[in-house]
Amino acid sequence: MRVQRIIHQQICQLRWHLLACLGLIMVLPIEEAAVNMHAGAGFHSIGMAVAAIMFSPLLAGLIACANVQGDLSEKRYIFWRSKPANVKKLMALKFSVGLIVSLAIIACPIMFAVVSSALCGRDLDDPPVKYYVPVPVMVAVMTYSLCFGCNVIVRKTARSWLLGILLAGFVLVVPFMLPLGFTDIVSDIGLWALGFYPATVFAISIIAFVFALYAAQHDWHLKTNLRGLLWAGTGLVFLLLMLFSSQVANVRVLNEKEIESHWRPYSLDKVEGKPIFQGRSYVNLDDSNISLERFMDERHPAIVDRVSRRKGDTYCQPYPRAGGVYKKAGDDLYALVIHSYWRHIEKTNVYENVYLRSYKLTSGSWKQASELDLSDCLKEGPLRTAMRLFDNTLVVCIRNSLVVLDVTNPGELKQIDKKVKVLGGSWSLEYEDRKKEIAVPLVPIDNISMEERIRLSIDLMYRFNYSDNDIYESSIVDVQDGKFAFFSVSGRDLARFDVIRWDRENIYCRFGTSRPFTILESLSGQWYEEYGTLVEDGKLYCRRRNTLLVFDVRSGRRIRKLGHFVRMDCHIDDMGILDDSNILLSARWYVSSGEGRSREQKKFLYLLKNPE
Amino acid sequence: MFRMLLWKEWQENRWKLLFCGAASVVFTVMLFRIRIVPDFSNCMLISLVQMFVVPVVYALDIFSGEVSNRTIHLLFKIPVPRWMLFFSKYLVSVAGIVLIFVLSGVLMELLAHGREMRVLFLFKTNLLCGAAGFFLFTWFCVFGCQSRSEAGSLGAMFGVFVGWGIAFFWATVCEVGWAAPFAPYSLIQLAEGGAVGTIFLQSLVSVGVLCLACYRYVSIRRYL
Repeated sequence: MRVQRIIHQQICQLRWHLLACLGLIMVLPIEEAAVNMHAGAGFHSIGMAVAAIMFSPLLAGLIACANVQGDLSEKRYIFWRSKPANVKKLMALKFSVGLIVSLAIIACPIMFAVVSSALCGRDLDDPPVKYYVPVPVMVAVMTYSLCFGCNVIVRKTARSWLLGILLAGFVLVVPFMLPLGFTDIVSDIGLWALGFYPATVFAISIIAFVFALYAAQHDWHLKTNLRGLLWAGTGLVFLLLMLFSSQVANVRVLNEKEIESHWRPYSLDKVEGKPIFQGRSYVNLDDSNISLERFMDERHPAIVDRVSRRKGDTYCQPYPRAGGVYKKAGDDLYALVIHSYWRHIEKTNVYENVYLRSYKLTSGSWKQASELDLSDCLKEGPLRTAMRLFDNTLVVCIRNSLVVLDVTNPGELKQIDKKVKVLGGSWSLEYEDRKKEIAVPLVPIDNISMEERIRLSIDLMYRFNYSDNDIYESSIVDVQDGKFAFFSVSGRDLARFDVIRWDRENIYCRFGTSRPFTILESLSGQWYEEYGTLVEDGKLYCRRRNTLLVFDVRSGRRIRKLGHFVRMDCHIDDMGILDDSNILLSARWYVSSGEGRSREQKKFLYLLKNPE
Repeated sequence: MFRMLLWKEWQENRWKLLFCGAASVVFTVMLFRIRIVPDFSNCMLISLVQMFVVPVVYALDIFSGEVSNRTIHLLFKIPVPRWMLFFSKYLVSVAGIVLIFVLSGVLMELLAHGREMRVLFLFKTNLLCGAAGFFLFTWFCVFGCQSRSEAGSLGAMFGVFVGWGIAFFWATVCEVGWAAPFAPYSLIQLAEGGAVGTIFLQSLVSVGVLCLACYRYVSIRRYL
């Protein structure tokens, strides 16, 4: 076989396709450059060159089909097979020439962008060029191989091109769905990190190439018709969508209700299992119908509005930031709130007083019922506060101190115990902590059960931070059959730590297992904040911005995702687990109603079926 | 005789209506039930995909199918003018495209009823995308009526997509106000109003384009 002649023949065969593809890929960059020149910015193009490269896999597929199609028609095939030609060598040569031509075409807009930008003195170190170009080039190589393989077997240009593109799309999307530990498109999928994804792309390219050689050698021919191919393609897309929806939209929405409210925040709390919205209304859920039963007069401020205002140069910071700790005593409803007062002196916040106050709901407004001065717990440094109610016992944490109160009658707050400087700092779990045994200090409170002490100790260790926390309403500790475990959510995965033993001073824990996030889960936002994570009845609920994830975390089993709820353009403000195990979400949604271009903020309450 | 031709084309292309209709219904129901994005975004996504895919499905073998099936010489021997053959194909395709968009538009309205969007807004948006698809298909007829293979038809259709894309991009970026209404893509963003004038203008252009396409089809000499 004369290699040079075959290469020459191939180039001659591809010349018109080469020109057509060059025209297609270069028209947008040239147009952008012309527009820039018209605007007086010089004849250069970056944005459209990058955009054109994004479409390069389609053109690479076209070159692949055009490359081999001519030699696969019945008569031509018999002609060159009748010569003493090595089929595999011939096909490999054709493949290589076509691939080089494809890469040359893709290189044109890159070169054009580089040269024109250099001539116009533009910055070539533009992030899109650096990060976005290698990926489509890599995908183009895979698309080329797949289209080549499809054409060898299907022998119809348009059909094999469509089939190749569809297969390439399938290969590109499937890894997104699998829990392979990818978290970031740029760092995990980009060319810089030689991880699973680029390896898959190259492996598929090689497999398609080898398959094409064998198919040509053995004269494999798949007879197709357009109708069948279209149905099969649509089926494949449907399969992908099903896979996608099973990953990201498998929590059933039982009901949703738009809320007319201009008050903020949109908090959800509970009192005796009944949800309270914004500290103003009970949420009634009869047969999945959502309705609000207002218990406060519209004219009076809610508990949050009352305390977060400024008096002179003194500011008041409430805990909980949104809502309160609600308790019923007989028919009376009380709210318990910590108020911290501070002033801004010489660029630092100086905390002066801290009070625990109870408010009683009287005639549609909150009236202060009792107050306890806890200012002696304040020392220098930033403030952090937390509290948790155990039946009639309230534990209040201020900086490093603990105060235990009897709230049998919340109208009269009774201090039972106070321990100063007994709490350590707030810690976050590092990857290194998975390799060793961790000791968590046990809180020195005798008024609550050991189970609650362990829960509170772990929550205070890992969630008692200086910004805000959910300690008053939730925990990250799970208890199943007397076994304790707690959970840490990082940007990469969800990890379980098992409590192995405890003594009078410490709880000892060890890393159990972890479950990496898929790309689709990671795309929903940053997961490393502990805020918005809670464990209840063997399930872990992760809530961030527009996503809610539910995991099965029962000890002794692997961590398994049960549900994934996403609403793009939505912001989930708060959530609550109801007594019937359903989930109630309060969310804001920025939507366009079709009137004008403005986007309107709407408030919704969602009732979700808790996934099993 | 024209009715007979229409019947023949209808029989030959019924599967396309079935295919596009079924796919459209399934994906619309699925996306509107999942509702990961707001209804308007779902509507735009489905409409845009339909705008490109439905004309391609019809264009793939509407003219070239007769060549690849080796029935074109039989067709041309039927004692009817060729313009009738052309229009029977064109009308059946257009009817299919319109039906699919009306079906998906009605479905979107039903599924989104009582939710955040204004009544009939999704239907209107979907229909405008359908109108854009219809005009793109009309432009395809000029370039694709003489194609002899699916690849040729696909190339012609993509040529129309890309060509009008470039023109629309130029008109938008360079703020050439008079040129934008000629691009079928300009209809997509006119759900707020101003669509009637643009549709009228494009209909006028389409009549001319259609005459040209018909002339090209009538003047086919080599067909086997």
